[in-house]
Amino acid sequence: MENSSLPSMDISKATDVVSGETMNNTGEGLLRAGKDNKVTPGVAKSYSKSKDGKTYTFNLRKSKWSNGDQVTAKDFVYSWQRTVNPKTASQYAYLLAPVKNANAIMKGKEAVSNLGIKAEGNYKVVVTLTKATNYFPSLVASPTFFPQNKSVVNKYGSKYATTAQANVYNGPFKLTYWTGTSDNWTMSKNASYWNAKNVKLKKINFKTMKDPQTALSQYQSGKLDATYLSGQQPKNYKNSKEYVERKSAGTFYLEINQKKDSMLRNKKARQALSMAINRNQFINKVLEDGSTPAKGVVASGLASYKGKDFSDVANVKSASTQNLAQAKKLWKEALKETGRKSYSFTFMADDTPAGKSAAEFLQSQWSKLPNVKVTNQNLPFKTRLSRSQNGQFDIVATAWGADFPDPISFLQLFTSDNSYNNGKWTSATYNRDIANANGKDANNEGARWNDLVDAQKTLLNDQGVIPFYQQGKAQLVKSNVKGLIYFPTGANWDFSKTYIAK
Amino acid sequence: MAKYLAKRIFYLILTLFIVITVTFFLMKLLPGTPLTNQAKLSKSQIALIYKQYGLDKPVWQQYVLYLAGAVRGNFGTSFQFSDQPVSYLISSRIEPSLQIGLQAIIVGVIVGIIIGSFGAMKQNTWADTSATIVSILGISIPSFVLAVLLQYYLGLKAGWFPIAEWGGFSYTVLPTLALAFTPLAESARFVRTEMVDVLSSDYIELAKAKGLSRMGVIYHHALRNSLIPLITIVGPLAVNIMTGSMVVENIFSIPGIGEQFVKSVLTNDYPTIMGLTIVYSFMLCVVLLVTDILYGIVDPRIRITGKAN
Repeated sequence: MENSSLPSMDISKATDVVSGETMNNTGEGLLRAGKDNKVTPGVAKSYSKSKDGKTYTFNLRKSKWSNGDQVTAKDFVYSWQRTVNPKTASQYAYLLAPVKNANAIMKGKEAVSNLGIKAEGNYKVVVTLTKATNYFPSLVASPTFFPQNKSVVNKYGSKYATTAQANVYNGPFKLTYWTGTSDNWTMSKNASYWNAKNVKLKKINFKTMKDPQTALSQYQSGKLDATYLSGQQPKNYKNSKEYVERKSAGTFYLEINQKKDSMLRNKKARQALSMAINRNQFINKVLEDGSTPAKGVVASGLASYKGKDFSDVANVKSASTQNLAQAKKLWKEALKETGRKSYSFTFMADDTPAGKSAAEFLQSQWSKLPNVKVTNQNLPFKTRLSRSQNGQFDIVATAWGADFPDPISFLQLFTSDNSYNNGKWTSATYNRDIANANGKDANNEGARWNDLVDAQKTLLNDQGVIPFYQQGKAQLVKSNVKGLIYFPTGANWDFSKTYIAK
Repeated sequence: MAKYLAKRIFYLILTLFIVITVTFFLMKLLPGTPLTNQAKLSKSQIALIYKQYGLDKPVWQQYVLYLAGAVRGNFGTSFQFSDQPVSYLISSRIEPSLQIGLQAIIVGVIVGIIIGSFGAMKQNTWADTSATIVSILGISIPSFVLAVLLQYYLGLKAGWFPIAEWGGFSYTVLPTLALAFTPLAESARFVRTEMVDVLSSDYIELAKAKGLSRMGVIYHHALRNSLIPLITIVGPLAVNIMTGSMVVENIFSIPGIGEQFVKSVLTNDYPTIMGLTIVYSFMLCVVLLVTDILYGIVDPRIRITGKAN
């Protein structure tokens, strides 16, 4: 069961989760995302990285599209070039930014053919990057980097990838039913897939259901094997054996405008605001949708090194847990240090149901601090976004979803020069750590990991932002469904190893 | 008649023109965009995408282009589904909506007539009272409440009909019932009142005196005459079904235009909302026109031009 329709199957154009997961199962990149965010061989049976980390060479296996054409190095070159081509107007092209010349091509300042990807013969792809990028293999495994068959794209023109038929597939499954606008679609096993003998499911049916009660009834009557829960449902089914919580790589955090005044620039005041929040209460009593309290800005379950999750290693407990007594004390000190008797500020959030309940909840939590007045402001997404970017706020709730499984997808947001750093929080130590992770340590996994851990710790110790909660989805899955692989980023699912136990 | 028809069609076009204009400018006031990833795009990328959708032009130009397209049945490209023309989106989804709508109105009106005439014949007995109760319930229970009840009891508990989705006649039963209840109740109430009126009129007494059978009187004289005014309420009933279908289609996950309408509103897909609004208004205007014309044909007393009198 899906909550929303399948809007697109165009690898260069799709941006949403449903498209991502469908493409991840009907297509395959040079590498394939595997369990625990580790990449496994895909169309490329092996790859090598140059010493400076700037050149990747992928050796392709012989494999076929569902129409019988060979999948060749040229299909990758064509696909990547199509995505960065300004004419395609891809909304995900920026993912290719690490590839040489990608940014210039997207701005129309460089010819598309100068993109840093070359085919050497039919079965070798050489990719040149602007600088060493440690997480490049996991990028290559995401749907935006999948191959596209040029003759098929040209054959269907503007109709390409708008129906199940107007497309070809090189993944474990192929789309066999989808009218482009239908609420249902079907994936069937792709016999042309190189690893088809290990794909167990013959067919998967997907159904969009807007009404959660209908979906639940269908699940209970055995028409669905898996469904998402919403509203009061997660609470009611929490103790069921079939209940599963899936963490997504999306974090909600609060940004504090550092350009506003001395109070918000006061570290104690920021810490007091964070310590006043009982995150567990919000998750368990207000939101109740499978979300979890955020430990930091980097979502947990996103990245790990030597078996340890980033969010556990780079954790500063006092920056993300409640301590009301300490909060009151710090707030009083902050008022005194900045020469104030009281302080009032405005909290800005989206006008969605979740945004409104977050605002009401935080207002009640912050009102427990001495001599404070909080005003809420719930705005439409677009307005909230432009005000955030222009610094027209005191404190704002921001959400960020990672595009690829690496801590940098969150941590790059808070360097001083990043345009998404709405609060304009600045730290030289932080900037240096991120610069090292992207520069001198980019090719050294351990050192880079430590840079990133230090960076998040610096951010949390200074309470540059206030972590709030991590988005999650609650699901019911029949207990005989085995071998589901879930990813917290972009393409949520891989069904290639899934089977139904007898 | 031809003159009247021409006048009515002119008004129909005028109405649609006003609907298009008003929805177009209302939509322009709202914050919808084709951007699905706005928070992460740079200004130049956003400008590029706006250009592709023709949103970089001044609003009046967009309006003229939209109007020119709408005349030819081209409602632009959906924001939600990339590269899908709105007209395709609608045409691929209109069939289930029409089927359920027609079934509901046919079932509702026929059953309503039966219940209504039954009540009138057995006036002031327990049968009449229960018919009245049915119609009061039918008018006061909204279709979406009934839909959920039907789905739970007849679908999930009893397992007689599929709970949701689309695929064959059995799938249409529950949504049709949910939608049919209001027209059923309305027409039952209407027919009963009319029939009671007719049954006490002189020509019925005369027919009875002639020695016609009871059923003969009811069928040939009473029912026919009480049905004429029913046509007037079929128009509003059709409207009722159209609006009800939005919620009912959602509950039963029917791939119709009502469900799409709700989805489009939720995803800020303005071209689709506009296209569907136009289609809905068009259907509404046509239904009203047809009932008016039928009314004139069926009841010679009220020829629309007034000349027949």
